Amino acid sequence: MSPRLKRTGFITIFLLPTFIFFCLFTLYPIVKGIQISFFDWSGRTKEMDFIGIQNFLDLFSDPIIWTAIKNDYFLVVGKVLGIMLLATIFAVSVTRLKVVGRNIFRVIFFIPNVISVVVIGVLFRFVYNPNLGFINSFLSLFTENPVQISWLGSENLAMWSLLWPSIWAGIGFYMILLIAAILSIPTELYEAADLDGATQSQQFWSLTLPLIWEQMKVSILHIVMTTLNGSFIIVWIMTEGGPDNSTQVMGSYLYQMGFRQYHMGYAAAIGVLILVLSLITTMALQKLLSKNTTELA
Amino acid sequence: MKLKTLLLCSVICILLTTVACGNNATNTNGNGTNTEKPATTDTNKDPEVTTTGLKGDFEIQYFVGGYGDAWWLEVIEGFQKANPDLKITQSAGPKINEQMQPRWISNDPPDVVYIDGAGSNERQMIVDDQLMDITSFLETAVNVDGEKIKDILISQPSIFNGDKNYNLPLVFGSWGLFYDKALFTQNNWAVPTNWDEFIAVSEQIKASGMPALLHTGVYPYYINGGLLDSAMVAANGGDTSILTSQVNLEEGSFSNDAVKKALAQFMQLVDKNLIDPGSVALNHTDSQAQWLQHKAAFIPNGLWLENEMKNDIPAGFDFGFIPSVAQAAGENNIVIPYTATIAIAKDAKNPDAAKAFLQYVFTKQNALRWAEITGAIMNVKADLSNSSASGVVKDAMDFFNSDTTTVAPVTVLNADVEKVKQDSIIALSIGKITPEEWMTRLEEAAAKARK
Repeated sequence: MSPRLKRTGFITIFLLPTFIFFCLFTLYPIVKGIQISFFDWSGRTKEMDFIGIQNFLDLFSDPIIWTAIKNDYFLVVGKVLGIMLLATIFAVSVTRLKVVGRNIFRVIFFIPNVISVVVIGVLFRFVYNPNLGFINSFLSLFTENPVQISWLGSENLAMWSLLWPSIWAGIGFYMILLIAAILSIPTELYEAADLDGATQSQQFWSLTLPLIWEQMKVSILHIVMTTLNGSFIIVWIMTEGGPDNSTQVMGSYLYQMGFRQYHMGYAAAIGVLILVLSLITTMALQKLLSKNTTELA
Repeated sequence: MKLKTLLLCSVICILLTTVACGNNATNTNGNGTNTEKPATTDTNKDPEVTTTGLKGDFEIQYFVGGYGDAWWLEVIEGFQKANPDLKITQSAGPKINEQMQPRWISNDPPDVVYIDGAGSNERQMIVDDQLMDITSFLETAVNVDGEKIKDILISQPSIFNGDKNYNLPLVFGSWGLFYDKALFTQNNWAVPTNWDEFIAVSEQIKASGMPALLHTGVYPYYINGGLLDSAMVAANGGDTSILTSQVNLEEGSFSNDAVKKALAQFMQLVDKNLIDPGSVALNHTDSQAQWLQHKAAFIPNGLWLENEMKNDIPAGFDFGFIPSVAQAAGENNIVIPYTATIAIAKDAKNPDAAKAFLQYVFTKQNALRWAEITGAIMNVKADLSNSSASGVVKDAMDFFNSDTTTVAPVTVLNADVEKVKQDSIIALSIGKITPEEWMTRLEEAAAKARK
């Protein structure tokens, strides 16, 4: 046996378990999901009625899915801006600035990241409670009558109220990534900048930001992907898509249609939509963010 | 270029796989999940099923939740004693619905199923043609004590597909309004018995600085069950057929005069600001906890409330229950029941044993034991005065046994229409839509479900 063939066999043997796992638990469910989206199926019987693209036609004429898409992208944009802004500020603060007790701050900022999203959802339900919640209680200190704002019950406020816990829960993780990126920047560069008389602000814009840009790109893509695929949890825990579907996201609507209203085919079509939108968004973002670091400098 | 080629190849592969997979599925000419399948035939016209000396295999599936499994074990043990040659298999547990789902999908169900808990939906099972039509069996079926089963039920079985019964309500509970008797006594508030009294006392409560009513906005079926449904029946002159016509998705059943009147009553609560404004964002535990803390006087809920909140009930709190308030003075109370039902699988391998089991279960003695073991009510008229059922349950039982009470049948709406109904009551409560828009939404949803 030639060394080349030996090597190929060796690689194949070691890759095979992972490949089988990938096919069984990733590729097959995706293909199966796409297949189910062409059927009318309750998910509870053997019988499946093939209806072609009817689920997709129904989907695009369903006003709730448009609300869900809008809400998903609201969370995407809000989380990208909110998390990246705050994570960058905190990361720079605990690395480049002479902040007292910066290690304690690192831990404090990271704590929300180790709490389960479910717990965060429940926690913020208490915070937003109109009668007993922290926010209204705090606001009531400054008013004559008790403040009774229904943060999760008002269609205008509910999505904003869902956005903040999502940001709060994500800051720590991305802050750690950015801290690692900042700490990998050679200190000589900053020393040279100091000698040239660059201010902290100039150093940030001309040195830090360009040199951590690659890490920020990865972070942004990661936030987008996890939001499109994972916003379901926080929404389901806090509002279940209400009031009157105003906080529905694609994931929660998928669950609602599949497991509450027994339209598994329709739910699968929503799943396909999530897949397609995730791919399109990711590719568009990659194109948009493909500036190299020297262009930023 | 490479990326484009890769993407194109991926799409082609996925489509080919999809088509290939699709060929394995059964293609039928069904009209959608909302279309109810033709009713199955009631195969056994003879109700005189023997309840002893049965042979063969018999399997029962039952969910184990808040009621526990002690009652089931006791009843099944008794049934086994009566039928020593019957090999009984119990498939039970808190996750049993999910665990048994593959067997239902592959047409290998148990003989009898108690439909309760997460992952269960009796209406969907009927739509999916999984339950036996037991209409004619129930017409004449007697229990082991010789009593006609239908005569001793508190709530009659739900009607599907026009006039068919596929399941039998086993657990009986009622929606209604709950209040703290002690609070009412302390404030000299009169417990309302009709709509005018309810509005009067609610305004009195509001004037004292407390919202009259809070509800579980995240789960709007609480306010539908506890307030709106009884209002629709009351507005229909106490005729419960309005709910049946809605279940049957009859045109106009969501926009008739009775519905208009009921919605107008609901709008009184909205317009007079009698509903706690934060309710819309509250889930069941939040709303119940706040009600226990006297953040409002009334809460629409079900009879499980006291048991569910038993660890949080403040000292001196005395549960009061009113099944309905929407009726005019002198008219009957309306009971909107909720239930968990028991049914026979359409593909039951031992239908005789399944029917015999139903005849064995539905007795006054078993109802008494249910109350004693679970603290709740079984769907059989029984004297619970000496049982260990809770005070509020006994109060409720007094209503159920009263001549001035109308008990509606248990109704389960089409899931899509139910969702629209839930969304719409919330939209109505926050002033997003008008009663006319509520009716339009529901009629459209019903029309869509009829297709």
